[in-house]
Amino acid sequence: MPSTIVTLTVNGQEAEFLAKPGTTLLSALRDNLGLVAAKRGCAQGTCGSCAVIVDGLEVPSCLIPVETIAGAEVRTLEGLATGNELSPLQTAFIEGFATQCGFCTSGMLMAATALLEENTAPSRDDVVRAISGHVCRCTGYEAIIDAVLVAAELEKTKGFASRSVAD
Amino acid sequence: MLQRVHVPNDLRDAVSLLHPDAAFLAGGTLLMPIVNNDVSPWQELISARGLGLDGIEVAAGAAQIGATTTLTALGRDERLAFLHPVVESIASPLIRNLATVGGNLFAPQPYGDLAVALLALDAQVVIAGAEGERHAPVGQVLSAGVGPGEIVTQVSFATPRPGTFFYTKAMRRKLNSASIVTVAAVIEQAGSKVDSARIALGGAGPRPVRAPNAEAALAGKPLNLETVTAASDLALMDAAPFTDAHASAWYRARVLPVHIRRAILGA
Repeated sequence: MPSTIVTLTVNGQEAEFLAKPGTTLLSALRDNLGLVAAKRGCAQGTCGSCAVIVDGLEVPSCLIPVETIAGAEVRTLEGLATGNELSPLQTAFIEGFATQCGFCTSGMLMAATALLEENTAPSRDDVVRAISGHVCRCTGYEAIIDAVLVAAELEKTKGFASRSVAD
Repeated sequence: MLQRVHVPNDLRDAVSLLHPDAAFLAGGTLLMPIVNNDVSPWQELISARGLGLDGIEVAAGAAQIGATTTLTALGRDERLAFLHPVVESIASPLIRNLATVGGNLFAPQPYGDLAVALLALDAQVVIAGAEGERHAPVGQVLSAGVGPGEIVTQVSFATPRPGTFFYTKAMRRKLNSASIVTVAAVIEQAGSKVDSARIALGGAGPRPVRAPNAEAALAGKPLNLETVTAASDLALMDAAPFTDAHASAWYRARVLPVHIRRAILGA
């Protein structure tokens, strides 16, 4: 059972680690790299809580054997903030009470990030579609949808609206 | 327990790696849930990621779609806009970012809605094996699969003339829901009469099936409420609806004719 040395770019930094055969991207992020924002939910691709962005596309990290994406550029929730400055999206989630237990939040934020990078002025239906692969058992979704729409507005005045983690 | 994950860069290498204890992995949306549950019978995975089998060509009224083209890429191709409602009806954006056109041919019902559409389009499948390449009708691949040493590399079909492709999928929710029944059809008319009709059904058996009784009933008739309703009822002779977590066999049989009518007439 030979392990493989895998190199990825994770949140802009090169990361190298040893992966046993079939190690998922999710396991590599959590167990090898200590990036635990992506959550291990269903392991079926159904819940969306493990979502990350690989080469610009939002994907469920639990469905990807990490050896198959060697060299890829991976972005996780840990890369959204700039230093202590939360992104407008994160700010909108906090201000809008768009998170309760928090288990789905990382995936929701990655889905919303992928959406807003492609469509800076999404409609409510666009947001619903974008998070349709993400299960939230707390919020009833409305606060999350509202927060993404608010974030789209905030992005237009970026910098002005973001707030410090220390606040 | 997995012993090895291969990422070959050459199709011949991939074919030579095929083995009864190995699974060929494209997007992973069907196989990785089994791997993650620790119930997979496989020792090895052979990834399609390095094979360069993705890409879409549309020319001279025909479309050729590489097997590892993702559903997202298919859904973004304006030349195949008639398929966008099909793609949008399948799973969720993040799953469509992984799931492939070729993989959809092997999705067990009530999944595999693109396969239903490809069956209505009478698509051809290109299959690579140790002896070289062969072509097979998509219906044959859907019913019999491919050989243990073979890999699907491409799907092709004649693009339907505008207004001749019909599709509807009945779901429990508007987005990201498995099929209760799926209906895809290509209906050509000459004058005001049906010249040819191909109707394919999902949720109507373990694999997508054509509806020859319904197709025959439409031939030579005008498309109207009376003829389509009569043909839709006959489709039950072609279907063997099943019970699962999404719907009962009784319910699927009850609504199948309704959704055939809605697909074709929009009402």
